[in-house]
Amino acid sequence: MLRTRIIPTLLLRNESLVKTVKFGKFTYVGDPANTVRIFNELEVDELLFLDILASRKKHGPNLKVLREVADECFMPLGYGGGIKTFEDAKAVFDIGFEKVAVNFSSFENTTLINDLSKHFGSQAVIASIDVRTTLFGRKKVYTLGGKKNTRKDPIIWAKEAEEMGVGEILLTSIENEGTWNGFDYDLVKSVTDAVSVPVVAHGGAGNTEHIHKVVTNSNASAVALGSMVVFQKKGMGVLVNFPNIKFNE
Amino acid sequence: MMQKTDLNICSRCIYDERVASIQFDSNGICNYCHQLEELSTLYSTGTPVGQKKWYDLVDEIKISGRGKKYDCIVGVSGGTDSSYMVYLAKKAGLRPLAVHYDNTWNSAIATQNIEKVLRALDVDLHTHVVNNKESDDIFRSFFFAGVAEIEAPTDLGLAEVMYRVAAKHNVKYVLEGHSFVTEGITPIGRNYFDGRYIKSIHKRFGRMKMKTYPLMTLLRFLWWTAISRVRKIRPFWYIDYDKEKARAFLEKNYDWQYYGGHHLENRMTAFFHGIYAPQKFGMDFRNNSLSALVRLGKLSREEAWSQYSKPPLIEDELITYFKKRLDLSDREYDKIMNEPPKNWTNYPTYKKRFECLRPLFFILAKSNLVPMSFYLKYCFPTKSEL
Amino acid sequence: MIHIIDYGMGNLGSMRNMFKRIGANVKVESNPAELAHARKLVLPGVGSFDAAMGRINESFGLRDLLEHKANVEKIPILGVCLGMQLLTNSSEEGELPGLGWVAAKTLRFPKKDGFKVPHMGWNVASPVRKSPLTLEVGKEARYYFVHSFCVHVEIPEQSIMKTNYAGVFDSAIARDNIYGVQFHPEKSHRFGMQFLKNFSNL
Repeated sequence: MLRTRIIPTLLLRNESLVKTVKFGKFTYVGDPANTVRIFNELEVDELLFLDILASRKKHGPNLKVLREVADECFMPLGYGGGIKTFEDAKAVFDIGFEKVAVNFSSFENTTLINDLSKHFGSQAVIASIDVRTTLFGRKKVYTLGGKKNTRKDPIIWAKEAEEMGVGEILLTSIENEGTWNGFDYDLVKSVTDAVSVPVVAHGGAGNTEHIHKVVTNSNASAVALGSMVVFQKKGMGVLVNFPNIKFNE
Repeated sequence: MMQKTDLNICSRCIYDERVASIQFDSNGICNYCHQLEELSTLYSTGTPVGQKKWYDLVDEIKISGRGKKYDCIVGVSGGTDSSYMVYLAKKAGLRPLAVHYDNTWNSAIATQNIEKVLRALDVDLHTHVVNNKESDDIFRSFFFAGVAEIEAPTDLGLAEVMYRVAAKHNVKYVLEGHSFVTEGITPIGRNYFDGRYIKSIHKRFGRMKMKTYPLMTLLRFLWWTAISRVRKIRPFWYIDYDKEKARAFLEKNYDWQYYGGHHLENRMTAFFHGIYAPQKFGMDFRNNSLSALVRLGKLSREEAWSQYSKPPLIEDELITYFKKRLDLSDREYDKIMNEPPKNWTNYPTYKKRFECLRPLFFILAKSNLVPMSFYLKYCFPTKSEL
Repeated sequence: MIHIIDYGMGNLGSMRNMFKRIGANVKVESNPAELAHARKLVLPGVGSFDAAMGRINESFGLRDLLEHKANVEKIPILGVCLGMQLLTNSSEEGELPGLGWVAAKTLRFPKKDGFKVPHMGWNVASPVRKSPLTLEVGKEARYYFVHSFCVHVEIPEQSIMKTNYAGVFDSAIARDNIYGVQFHPEKSHRFGMQFLKNFSNL
């Protein structure tokens, strides 16, 4: 049986690592390559890098930073942020990343996911779905760092992404992010019920109970952690760490 | 038998005539050995009297901390001294807040050590992380300035953060892991730094604005010492502190890891000690800890001198990393490393202001609000040596 | 000197980095004339079976050189992930025949509830036979897998590790000088490092 993957998810802002709360206020976490070196020593299962400004600022992946990061890692790496074209993705794979995540561009270019998964394999393509609850209480998919409402329902969009050929869905709850209050369990379950590809739950993890709950009750195949791996504890200082989480398999 | 050398070496430790401001008495013993004796006497280091002084301080700290979330601040780096200090504070019944200043060059070992020790002792941590690009820009400025004090931004940054956090939590005591017995005394006169020094070097050679770096301005320093009245305490000046025993204790109880003697807790520190200081300035600080071991009887003078005579281990990977982070071409790096060193006197500092404020700092030193060593070093004109 | 074959498919950088980290002399090489000097070869691979076999076959002189190295000179060759699948006779993923250096077939994963395909993540691989490739591999070792097709050997002695995912398959194989691992050693931390160390010591 596969171990449930626990994936530290690091946010890149220009050339610094940061951590945000609800996709808003950010704190500096450190130098990308230096921080990744620490995660490598901690032997984490996998790392995900998300460039939170790339799409908004309309630039592609920062290959220089990604190269430095890839040089430090002996585990699988995923990258998301500003991947608009096949060439963008290829450049990232060539550096040594295993997977790319697309969000904004998949709305602008509906064949992108399909092209990528056909050539690189579906396991190499992640659909990154950020969800926010609108004023009317509906959950909608947002892009551009939580700023643009696509008006799409997350379940419908997840199904479409699956059809386009993604191998995995990164499902992020914007209002839970950085709060340490737990995941949006209902949202995760509604998506895992609807698709057969693995769903990575992201946004809100505060302790191991939350992680167990989203895996056991909401059927998440994997968990992405942000605050828990960069802060010592809730409300405390930056300290890169990797919690020891045991699953009964 | 001591290795053959023409240098005058202290007959008790291994500081030689090249050490700044050194003098030898009629027995060949250096003034630094004498200073250590004086300090040991003054603080009753390692004696029951010294122990009592520490306990009295602990009581003071506890009283001052009543009703507050924390009663003292401990600066942590992942190293032996600061890690053991946290243990000491908890053992004494204090409620410390650990503070770390992250210049973004930390090694994995340092980070993991901090995590393990604080988790085991259940101590909260406050960290100040500088924007990595800004941190590199400041280091780069120092490199281009040609001066030795490239570690100054880190040292002063930590001091600023500790004071700031102390003031924020209304905590009056900062515990520092400095031990003059295990580290020796840094010779006065050669190196110097203050907030204005850092600011002026960055202003001249920096390429981006200073936004996240915690600059210790004179005003802030005076505010926290004279007004907030935050005191710096160095427990190892009073009690018996054996570094090797401390390491073994940390390893056994917290799975703490020793990173060897090459300052590998932070890659900038490693670069400074192993490459920058010896190669560009002819300064090799290994004699500090080696002399300390000799004075404690843990190492023979002959063995210490033999180790000291061997050049420090140079890690090529470290140099490559340094160049990459500071965006230096091989040519730029070589050029600057080979240029004649500059001195702190070449750049604007607060020095004159400190000298003018000598009476104020005398009072602060007497009230233990600034270390006496600070008063002696900063408030008197020094003969700058190139 | 270990040569990593660059035929246009695979994450060569990570493989090279790990070899460098263990102190082995390694070079990424695409030119068959240069590869002719190789004493050890690594055949990486990420992507689809036919795309990979197509590239190898169409690269001028590459296929012939590899056949020579494998079956005449008999130097140690390590196939990784898709590279291991290429060592087999055929794959259900594609139409083209494989290199056929190990009597084995690459098959689809059986459909089984609870077992999503691709097999992606960290799993264990149990040594079933002594091999120089699995020296000092510890009990708690785990490896990173990412594949949609799996290998089944025809001669049981040629399977050196097995993994259970929707059924048992061969996760590491060996025949004389030819070796294959289905997982990514260059992405499996110190567990993967042990394999590359063993390979470099052959």
